[in-house]
Amino acid sequence: MLKFLKQVTDYLKETRDAAKYIGQGLAVTFDHMQRRPVTVQYPYEKLIPSERFRGRIHFEFDKCISCEVCVRVCPINLPVVDYEYNKETKKKKLNSYSIDFGVCIFCGNCVEYCPTNCLSMTEEYELSTYDRHELNYDSVALGRLPYKVTEDPMVTPLRELAYLPKGTIDPHNLPATARRAGQRPEEILEKMEKEGAGKS
Amino acid sequence: MDSGIDLQGSFIQALMDLGLPADLAKVIWIPLPMLLIIATATFLALVSTWLERKISAAAQQRVGPEYMGPLGMLVPVADVIKLLIKEDVMPAKTDPWLYTLGPILVFTPVFLSYLIVPFGQHLIITDLGIGIFLWISLSSVVPIGLLMAGYSSNNKYSLLGGLRAAAQSISYEIPLALSVLAIVMMSNSLSTIDIVQQQSGYGILGWNIWRQPVGFVIFWIAALAECERLPFDLPEAEEELVAGYQTEYGAIRFMLFYAGSYVNLILSSLMVAVLYLGGWEFPIPVGVIADWLGISETTPWLQIVTATLGITMTLLKAYFLLFLTILLRWTVPRVRIDQLLDLGWKFLLPVSLVNLLLTAGLKLALPFAFGG
Repeated sequence: MLKFLKQVTDYLKETRDAAKYIGQGLAVTFDHMQRRPVTVQYPYEKLIPSERFRGRIHFEFDKCISCEVCVRVCPINLPVVDYEYNKETKKKKLNSYSIDFGVCIFCGNCVEYCPTNCLSMTEEYELSTYDRHELNYDSVALGRLPYKVTEDPMVTPLRELAYLPKGTIDPHNLPATARRAGQRPEEILEKMEKEGAGKS
Repeated sequence: MDSGIDLQGSFIQALMDLGLPADLAKVIWIPLPMLLIIATATFLALVSTWLERKISAAAQQRVGPEYMGPLGMLVPVADVIKLLIKEDVMPAKTDPWLYTLGPILVFTPVFLSYLIVPFGQHLIITDLGIGIFLWISLSSVVPIGLLMAGYSSNNKYSLLGGLRAAAQSISYEIPLALSVLAIVMMSNSLSTIDIVQQQSGYGILGWNIWRQPVGFVIFWIAALAECERLPFDLPEAEEELVAGYQTEYGAIRFMLFYAGSYVNLILSSLMVAVLYLGGWEFPIPVGVIADWLGISETTPWLQIVTATLGITMTLLKAYFLLFLTILLRWTVPRVRIDQLLDLGWKFLLPVSLVNLLLTAGLKLALPFAFGG
């Protein structure tokens, strides 16, 4: 009889605990309802891509020396470099240059190795087309600069989480002067130079 | 307290004044409340789908539908139009009769149950003697429809979903009926009007939730299971069964299931409001307020205010419970089938039996509080 009573009390205790935990869970869910949505309302709001964002590649025709380093460092030899050898000046003359962004993996090796810095990364990521062949950019298309998110009057630019002031998680209605958390790159550089000067 | 608006009487009287015979006037009246209640039920279900989207979004810190009409209120309309104009496909090797009959059998009883939902003293289609029993018996038709749909789809997931739905509905109907029985015992009547009447007079203090807290919880859990809402949505568990018995359905037949499930959810919320939260009663009795202000209870405008307040209160209570369901949906994980049956048979059933026994004892011991 006592054993049975103990079983009953244990069971009731378990039930009470279960109800308590469900209640706690409901409180958490309810609390979330009054928080501001964390979603970015694309295409009306867009995040500002970070400095190191690896977007569509930009190409400067006049700087290129047709060395084909970009082709060699590319994992799939993607860039197409079309040049002629000019025997009089003993220089290569570039006719056309193209990269197919339907195949590119945006690894950035070409940008990294280009000896004349004629390749660079942009912050453009909206590359969708109706026809995949349209993704094959020639030297003219590669030379275009993307439209900046911060300059688009149709778009509210939002800062990414790492670029918000300390303690803030909501990028809306932030003053443009609000500083990001931590030190800025130039400050770190300055500090390092100072320390280096002190040592030597 | 039998005063109030008699819409039927005044409508028939008005038609007879126009020179129509009495029988014809009655015939004209009969379909009106039915059409009205079907339209209302559909509208309430559409509103609840919108609420489900909006509240879910809020609970997950999203915005939810925004651009379809103000605050995305036209999303349900778009849903209905899309489902109506979709091609009606029947998969190969299905049983065409059962396949069509399944959704209808799920859909019709749910709408029929609205016959006994009271929105006010006289705002009910029929004050049946068997009242709440009609709802319980009609809701036990639903699993047959689900089983039919699952079986006739010729798909193993559908069949599993159908079987689970049937097992779930059958096992949770018993605690549901037992907790209703405790209420019925207190009010000495199956009629929903009488059940609300028995709770009236003392405002919020008189509501059954204070006398039947255990019954309320059991009823609510069982109603969630009957509606296949999230902690108990095994029959249509997306991750395991694609969509359960609805897998092979599309277009209008799917719409019947979808509408049926939401109408059923609203119906269950309304039932909880009627059985435990005092139905159309305002937290402070209207009669008391009228006495304070020195207004006679038979004043026409007061009666209109009372009726409006009744409808509003019923809907408010129902939608509060709906809100709780949606919140629960994003809080608790789905139970396993063995846990589900354990909860139904080993917990809810004995507890509801004890509750019934206690209610009977209290009814004998304290007849003034528990309806002697």
